[in-house]
Amino acid sequence: MTAAAAGRDSGSSIAAEESGAEPQAPPYRAATATRKRTPRRCREWPLAGELALRCRHPLAAGARHHRRHAAGKGFRSVTRWRHLQGGSGAAMAEAFKTVEPLEYYRRFLKENCRPDGRELGEFRTTTVNIGSITTADGSALVKFGNTTVICGVKAELATPTEDSANKGYIVPNVELPSLCSPRFRSGPPGEEAQAASQFIADVIENSQIIAKEDLCIANGKLVWVLYCDIICMDYDGNLLDASAFALLAALKNVQLPSVTINEETGLSEVNFKQKNPLMIRKHPVATSFAIFDDTLLIVDPNAEEEDLATGTVTVVTDEEDRLCSVHKPGGSPLTGAKLQDCITRAITRQREVKKLIDKVINSIKPK
Amino acid sequence: MAARGGVAVEERVGQVVLPGDVLVVPAHPDEDGERLRLGAPPAPHTRLLCGPGLRRCDAGLLVTKCGLLRHRQAAGGAYWVDSQQKRYVPIKGDHAIGIVTAKAGDVFKLDVGGSEQASLSYLAFEGATKRNRPNVQVGDLIYGQFVVANKDMEPEMVCVDSSGRSSGMGIIGQDGFLFKVSLGLIRKLLAPKSEIIQELSQLYPFEMVLGMNGRIWVKARTVQQTLIIVNILEACEYMTAEQRKQAFAKLSGN
Amino acid sequence: VAMELWGYRAMGGSCLRPFSCELGPLSRPDGSAAFLQGDTSVLAALYGPAEAKGNRELPERAALEVLLRPKTGLPGVGERSREQLLRRTCEAVVLGRLHPRCAVSVVLQVVADGGSLLSCCLNAACMGLLDAGLPLASLFCGVTCALHPDGSLILDPTTRQEQEARAVLTFAIDSAEKKVLMASTKGACSMEEMQQCIAAAQSAADTIFQFYRDSIRRRYSKS
Repeated sequence: MTAAAAGRDSGSSIAAEESGAEPQAPPYRAATATRKRTPRRCREWPLAGELALRCRHPLAAGARHHRRHAAGKGFRSVTRWRHLQGGSGAAMAEAFKTVEPLEYYRRFLKENCRPDGRELGEFRTTTVNIGSITTADGSALVKFGNTTVICGVKAELATPTEDSANKGYIVPNVELPSLCSPRFRSGPPGEEAQAASQFIADVIENSQIIAKEDLCIANGKLVWVLYCDIICMDYDGNLLDASAFALLAALKNVQLPSVTINEETGLSEVNFKQKNPLMIRKHPVATSFAIFDDTLLIVDPNAEEEDLATGTVTVVTDEEDRLCSVHKPGGSPLTGAKLQDCITRAITRQREVKKLIDKVINSIKPK
Repeated sequence: MAARGGVAVEERVGQVVLPGDVLVVPAHPDEDGERLRLGAPPAPHTRLLCGPGLRRCDAGLLVTKCGLLRHRQAAGGAYWVDSQQKRYVPIKGDHAIGIVTAKAGDVFKLDVGGSEQASLSYLAFEGATKRNRPNVQVGDLIYGQFVVANKDMEPEMVCVDSSGRSSGMGIIGQDGFLFKVSLGLIRKLLAPKSEIIQELSQLYPFEMVLGMNGRIWVKARTVQQTLIIVNILEACEYMTAEQRKQAFAKLSGN
Repeated sequence: VAMELWGYRAMGGSCLRPFSCELGPLSRPDGSAAFLQGDTSVLAALYGPAEAKGNRELPERAALEVLLRPKTGLPGVGERSREQLLRRTCEAVVLGRLHPRCAVSVVLQVVADGGSLLSCCLNAACMGLLDAGLPLASLFCGVTCALHPDGSLILDPTTRQEQEARAVLTFAIDSAEKKVLMASTKGACSMEEMQQCIAAAQSAADTIFQFYRDSIRRRYSKS
């Protein structure tokens, strides 16, 4: 697809787009080119040097703590320690990560970086590709690092109910098939998928991304129903941000054929030749944070970080800086000031994502 | 409010405390006082015991269960929260009534009302040897003591004390009646000189086994008498001392 | 062990509806509580720490499960999403590490919905946890705030007030430091408005925690 190619080649990933251009780059968006190299150094020094001391005699008296943790994961990890005593730093780090994943992360966070090389406030490379599904009326594929989410919008005609005669419908659905991560099973949607669907539905409702009146074709007779199917293809954390982004990009991509109602027969006539884009009124963007050890906030957590974190927060803002959703499902308690912090960061993120979407949309516009 | 500021622990004794309350333990009145009496022997190092429902935190003691704060003045003092609970969590040293659910090789499995079944070795009876096995069937009631009970391991019970005597433990007789009450009531009944038990014992003779896991087994001369006791004990849960005295007066009257 | 409380006043002249709570109304569960907020009523039943079934067992902490039953019909996507909110809120305060490999289930039955349902569920769940005697690091309470189109803030709104409102925000506040444990919003609002709601919820939380204390006191005065 030309759209896809254009989207990718013109550097629709935030990283490529911004590395030099943004002078007031927020603390969590770094010039990627230089940052990419730091991780390797980070990975070496806290683990190979400092940690080696602790790892040398894992079965000695002081290591009882380690052993207790290892017991939960089966005896293998304990025995592996023995082999690794004289092993290389990388292998030792790997073993340390297996036995004490949380402590492993803490060491990195203390140095203001993460095992994947990012700073605490840094997003993964975000890529968006629109019009990826030719059979859908609108579609988008979004990648946050490894997390891959695809959204397809299918428009159908329906008759509205009596009490909302001039309103169409938007039906979102998030699917987490078993192919995206071993943590999901096939079969009916699990709690996480259902909660994500509800979240997306709430975002649509709260932000008024599309005025439902815009989906009306003939008052009381015919309206559009937009089925927005969001499917996760690779689950590596931050599903909500990726899903919300994919939905927005897919809706921006929707081209609806014009429909007229024949006065004489009363039947609808669809003209596929003439297509019109949807009116997108708001651009809500979700930004997720993981809370580490009750105090530390890290942005755009991957699956590993989500598992180790003591809580998550997702903030959705639009271009007018209104809060469309503050979703904090339990976890570590936060003060109002910390939440304010999250919101401020989310607003900056909204600008970046908006810019990215505009760029991709413009890139496929016929010249 | 008491929740955050932290209240001195003595002030709260006998009162209701809620999870999240922080109780401040008074610092030992040594430092200054000791320095003056230079020649005096140092005070014996006392240790404050932190019982059920309390945990140590930076500021002092953190309450984790709701209930009445209790205190005992012995060897440094002990504080605990007396809470009314229904679910039993095995504790080492507790005497409990278990129901045999299975015979698995050398051990019996007992349902004690906790999250996991307790195990009981067939050798843990008075006089039991490899040849002379105790006659225990599935469904029997066993009164025993926990020797292993912690969160990470399967609880284990025995029916002998440290000297190998049964001291009242073992299989409970065939008839009689088993019922469940709250753990708070059991503790009240097992308290030394429990009023309820004393009042009950004046009615007529009966046998009773009280398990810390909330189970009570009762047997009197007739079924009717057994059931009267059961009903009284069950009602004790919701009666004040005053109401209970009236009920007993009524019973002993006829 | 019922306990009632009328017209507690909170910040800005807006007040909470009358609260009432009964501890231990059910005999079978390990802990139970019926919580009333105005016309909203939720019944909570708690089981545990019990044996974990099958793959739900966690090696180093208790597995918590929250089941939310609507007043009529079967639970849907909305209930599932609320279950997740409630479960993670409970997980944050329950000291699950003291009961590894155990299961705790919290069953919440909606008896009547007259607005602020989520906050009533939170309060019922917390009272249920208290009644069951599970080890908790702190308490939490639920507070719902509605932002009226004219800019006023309504605490603990009724269904009608929720429908009229521009935005409805529900928070769970913890008792230790009055921080926000859970947040869920409906409708859009500004940053300042949200901060205002948090402040209102925090001051209302004091009232609710005092109500908790009074309810528990009433219960223990019987023994």
